[in-house]
Amino acid sequence: MPLLRRGGRAGLGLLLPLVAAIGWEIAVATGAASGRLLPPPSRIGATLWELAVSGDLWLHVEATLVRVGLGFLCGAAAGIIAGALVATIPLLRWLVDPSLQALRAVPSLAWVPLFILWFGILETPKVLLIAVGVFFPVYVGVSGAIASVDRKLVEVGRIFRLSRLALARRILLPAVLPATLVGLRTGLGLGFLFVVAAELMGASEGLGYLLVDGQQFSKPDQIVAAIIAFALVGKAADMALLTLTRPLTRWQDTVRDSL
Amino acid sequence: MTDRMPRALALPPSDGPAPNRRLLLSAGLGLAAAAMLRPARAAGSIRIGYQKYGSLVLLKGRGSLETALQPLGVTVAWSEFPSGPPLLEALNAGAIDFGSAGEAPPIFAQAASPELRYVATEPPAPRGEAILVPKDSPVRSVADLRGKTIALNKGSNVHFLLVRALAQAGVPYDGVKLAFLAPADANAAFVRGSVDAWAIWDPYLAAAERATGARVLADGQGLAPNRQFYLSRRGFTDSSPEIVSAVLKAIGEVDAWAEGHADAVAAELAPAVGIPAPVLGVALGRLSYGVAPLDAAAVADQQKVADAFHGLGLLPRPIRVADAVWTQPERRAENRAETR
Repeated sequence: MPLLRRGGRAGLGLLLPLVAAIGWEIAVATGAASGRLLPPPSRIGATLWELAVSGDLWLHVEATLVRVGLGFLCGAAAGIIAGALVATIPLLRWLVDPSLQALRAVPSLAWVPLFILWFGILETPKVLLIAVGVFFPVYVGVSGAIASVDRKLVEVGRIFRLSRLALARRILLPAVLPATLVGLRTGLGLGFLFVVAAELMGASEGLGYLLVDGQQFSKPDQIVAAIIAFALVGKAADMALLTLTRPLTRWQDTVRDSL
Repeated sequence: MTDRMPRALALPPSDGPAPNRRLLLSAGLGLAAAAMLRPARAAGSIRIGYQKYGSLVLLKGRGSLETALQPLGVTVAWSEFPSGPPLLEALNAGAIDFGSAGEAPPIFAQAASPELRYVATEPPAPRGEAILVPKDSPVRSVADLRGKTIALNKGSNVHFLLVRALAQAGVPYDGVKLAFLAPADANAAFVRGSVDAWAIWDPYLAAAERATGARVLADGQGLAPNRQFYLSRRGFTDSSPEIVSAVLKAIGEVDAWAEGHADAVAAELAPAVGIPAPVLGVALGRLSYGVAPLDAAAVADQQKVADAFHGLGLLPRPIRVADAVWTQPERRAENRAETR
């Protein structure tokens, strides 16, 4: 029964894009709208099919996934470490946090010329740029979560004479984990945003490259196909992350489960 | 208890003003969609797209077009674009009526839409694009580029230049590695030494020569004409040919002035382009001035570019450039008189 309910929810999620697609297809077919600037779903589907059959789509998806995957690992690891250190060492917080918060506002494209100068045009700058995108939400999530751990919980741990390690494992980690996982999800999403900028750095494959290529050569069907591919790959990556991390928060009793 | 929660959270059905709100919302969305699909243009107006470099910037700065179009009751709206492709995308979409671009973007714009019209061209400026190498590079000729990495803007005028240069030197197209980069990023890669050569156009070409002492391996002479085209769309050339003619006349006048005032032009463009006036002066010295309708030679040159891009698989289908060439009404009358 819960499986059926979950399937129904997934079906509801598909309803809006499905209605929009059918509506647009009809609008173009009846001549009510021009299909040149925003091609009808049939043409976008045909473009995706051509890309898939030729093998190009998988090449682009693989290139993007590898870059985002590596960037996510680097950025998330750095974000967790930096967040934990800044939250637990006051001197570091006063010293480092203001600069990191300022850098957080720098748009992805602004890094591109600098990264090319520093790291060249191969895979290193692409992965590092994605890592920068992933780093900030993870860093903010972790440092914020540690800083906002309920003092009473820590005091209870101390009353129970828990060692520093046990305190971290039994109290701090469960308290920090939910916000950290939200930070990781946000970071993964930003990784997919930053990959477009990353793939401006001399790439000849990747979904970001496919997107820019479509714009450069007046191919709106390719642009929309790349956007759809991004959406599907991004959603799949997010679901994979959720599935992998769900066991870590199994103990949570949230209102969402009862709605 | 939990079963009742969703119902408690759901809003009760309303028999109040909700349908009116829905009606207003759907009407609003419909109007918004219509506005997006058909960008508005005032009856007596022309919307011009321009880039930071070229005659249209001068025309905008001097305000002479507004003066010329005033007797016709036509107003001018200017929009700046970072490069040719988005400008021509806007032109095809009907968001602007007139603009200028180099050789390559119109090829792809024509493949995307039958609306595009070539209305005029400037004379070739083959020295305004080149393949650069660092001053201490061991590369001495185009033939030496075999196996090397070359930075370029994909599908641009220099892409065609590179294809022609490699073919002439007997280097297969897949015998070099290509790094597709926008000019600013290519400049960074070139300075760092991440690429062995850079195919680029003015004013970036002049700036790179001055800043890095880069050597010109080959320019467009004998390889690529490097023309600048003035473009419009069929709907506009059909409905307002007299406005198009007036704009071309104004560009011709500004070109005639610019040819004799290179220093003044450099000083005027330098702040907008972000390149020092002396460097810009070098680039302007390589420009060719004057506006003319497309003759057979210009069409043939442009057709070669189209065929080259189709051969590379960058164009989905072959195109005929001649199909997109607009003829001024007075020239049409002349042609008819000649054929009688």
